[in-house]
Amino acid sequence: MVVLVVKALQKSYGQGQGAVLDKASFHLPRGAFAALVGPSGSGKSTLLNLVGLLDGADSGEIVIDGTRVGSLSPTEAAWLRNEMIGFVFQSFHLLSRLTAWENAALPLFHRGVGRDERKARALAMLDRVGLADRACHRPEQLSGGQRQRVAIARALVGDPRLILADEPTGNLDSVTGLQVMNLLRELNRDLGVTILMVTHDHDMARLCDRVIEIRDGRILPQEAAG
Amino acid sequence: MKTRGVGLVELAREALTNLRVQGRRSVLALLGVLIGSAAIVALMNIAHIAQMEALNSFRQTGVDLLSVQSDGLASLDPVLIDRLVRDDPEGVLAAPFAITTLDVSAGARSTGIMVAGVTPAMAGMVGLSAAGGRLLREVDDCSPVAVLGQKAAADLSAPGAAVGPGSLVRIGGYGFTVVGTTAATAPQALSPIQFDTAVLIPLACARRVMPQEGATGVLIRLLPGADTGAAAARYTAALSTPQMPVRVEDAKSMIQAMKKQMAMLGGVLIAIGSISLLVGGVGVMNVMLMTVMERRREIGLRAALGATPGEIRMMFLIEAVILALGGGLLGDVLGLALTWFATLFLPFDFAINWVVLFLGAGVAASVGLMFGLYPAISASRISPIEALRGD
Repeated sequence: MVVLVVKALQKSYGQGQGAVLDKASFHLPRGAFAALVGPSGSGKSTLLNLVGLLDGADSGEIVIDGTRVGSLSPTEAAWLRNEMIGFVFQSFHLLSRLTAWENAALPLFHRGVGRDERKARALAMLDRVGLADRACHRPEQLSGGQRQRVAIARALVGDPRLILADEPTGNLDSVTGLQVMNLLRELNRDLGVTILMVTHDHDMARLCDRVIEIRDGRILPQEAAG
Repeated sequence: MKTRGVGLVELAREALTNLRVQGRRSVLALLGVLIGSAAIVALMNIAHIAQMEALNSFRQTGVDLLSVQSDGLASLDPVLIDRLVRDDPEGVLAAPFAITTLDVSAGARSTGIMVAGVTPAMAGMVGLSAAGGRLLREVDDCSPVAVLGQKAAADLSAPGAAVGPGSLVRIGGYGFTVVGTTAATAPQALSPIQFDTAVLIPLACARRVMPQEGATGVLIRLLPGADTGAAAARYTAALSTPQMPVRVEDAKSMIQAMKKQMAMLGGVLIAIGSISLLVGGVGVMNVMLMTVMERRREIGLRAALGATPGEIRMMFLIEAVILALGGGLLGDVLGLALTWFATLFLPFDFAINWVVLFLGAGVAASVGLMFGLYPAISASRISPIEALRGD
C-alpha cells in the first residue's frame, strides 16, 4: 500500500524565476525508509515543505495515505499535519522551557488531548527511544543525541502516517549521528512507520531502503536501492 | 474533517507559564496597566465617596424638604408661613429662621458669629441635640436666652473662662443667657445655618438684635414622597410678591443637579484614567510584539506540529489579556490604597465602590484584548518555513 504519492509537483518562487520543482514525481510504499538526496538548491527542502503541508504547490498532486491534500486552508493544513505527519529537524527545535516529555507531547497538546493522556503517551514514546530516565529533564540538560531522540519521540507521539526528517543527523557528530540513524531504522522496522529523510550525507543515505535523488528540481530516474 | 482544538484552560496555563518565564518584562508591561487602572479606580472611588458624603447631608433632613429664602433684607411672616404649611395637605412642619452675622462677646472675647433666630421646630427639622444644658423651648418665647454651637462655644471661651450653660454673652449689645450647647451637627444640604458655628436665639426676639423683622427663610418638611418640585412652585406663588421675591429650593431637584454634576465629573475622571490606560495598553502591545518576535521559532514549530493559526492567535491573545487583567487587579488594590490615603487628607470616610473595582479590572482586560490583538494576529501569520529555517 502506498502512503505517499507525489505527482508532477511544480513550484517556483516569484515570477521570472526558474522552477524550484519541475514535475517532481515519486511515491513511497508503507513502511519505506527513503533518503532524499541532492546538492543544495536542488529543491529538497521545497519538496519536503510541500509534502509536509507547510507550503502549497503551483500545480501537481500530493496524496498522503489516500487523502488528497491539495488546496487546503491554513487551518485544515494544520489539522492534517498534526494527524498525519511527524517532523524531525536538523536543529531539533525543542522548546527550552518545557521538559522532555512536555516537548514530546506537543503534537498531542495541539490535538486537544488531555494532560494525563498526553503525559502517558509521551512517556511511553520516550521509553521507546531510550530516554525514560530523562523525561523530566529540560533540553539544556540533554546531549545533542538525546535532544534529537526527544524530537523523534515528538514526531512519533501522534501516531503519524509519515515522518519527514530534515538532516536529522546534520548537527550531530558521526557516532551520535549513527546512533540516531540506527534508532530511526529500528523504529521504521518495529513500528512500520514510513520515513522520508533529507540528507546530503551519502553514508546515511546508504543506510536507507531507497534513495531518491533530486537535481535542479527534477527527481532522477531510480537507482538500485541501497 | 472534524473540528477540535486546545481548550482555553490549557492555553491559559501555557500563557501563565510563559509570563512567568519572561519575568521582569511581564512585570513591566503589567505596571503600565496597573498605574492606569489604579488611577481610574482611585479617582472614581474618591468621586463616589464625595457623592456619598453629599447625599449624606440629606440623611437627617430627608429629601422631602423645601427651603424658602427671601431675597435681600425683606422678611417673611412666620405666622403666615405656619398657616400656609398647616393648610397644605402635603405640609408637615415649618421651621422659620432669621440669620445675620453679629458681634458676640463673652467676657473680654468678642468675635463675629452667625446668629440665627429659630423656633423650637428647628431642632426636630435638622436633628439638633443638646450637648450641655438644653435646646430652645416654646416657653422661651422671647426670653434673652441663647444656645451655642459647639465651635461657637469654643471660640468664645477663654482659658479658665469656659463658655457654657449659665454663661452670659452679649449679642449685638444685648445680654443673653446661655442655656445650652448643641452636639456636633453635620451640615444640612438645604439649611444656610452652620449649626456648629452659630448662636441660636429665639426667633420671636431676634428682631431686637437683627436689622430685619420676621424670618429671612424657612425650612418646610413635606409628607414622604411628596412632589417637592410642585410644592416649590406652590410656595413660590403663595409667598412671592413684587416687593419681596422669594427663592424656593427643593431637595430632590438639588440632588438631581448634584448627581448630574457628579456624572460629569465622573466622565472627566474616566477620560483621564482612560488615557493612562491607553498608555498601559501600548506597553502591553510592545511587550507582546517583542514576545512574538522572540518566540518566532516556537510559533513556527507549533504551527508545524499542528497548531492552527486561530490557536496561535488565541495563545497570544490570552497572554495579553492575562497580563492586562493582572495589572487591572493589582490596579484595583493600588487604587484602593490611594483612595484610603486620600481620605486621610479629605473630610471623607473611606468607602469602597465595588462597581468601580469591577470596572477597573474589566476595562484593563479589554485593553489587553484590544492591544493584544495585533501582536496575536501577526503571530498567527508567521510562516513556519521561515521561522524554522536555518539558525
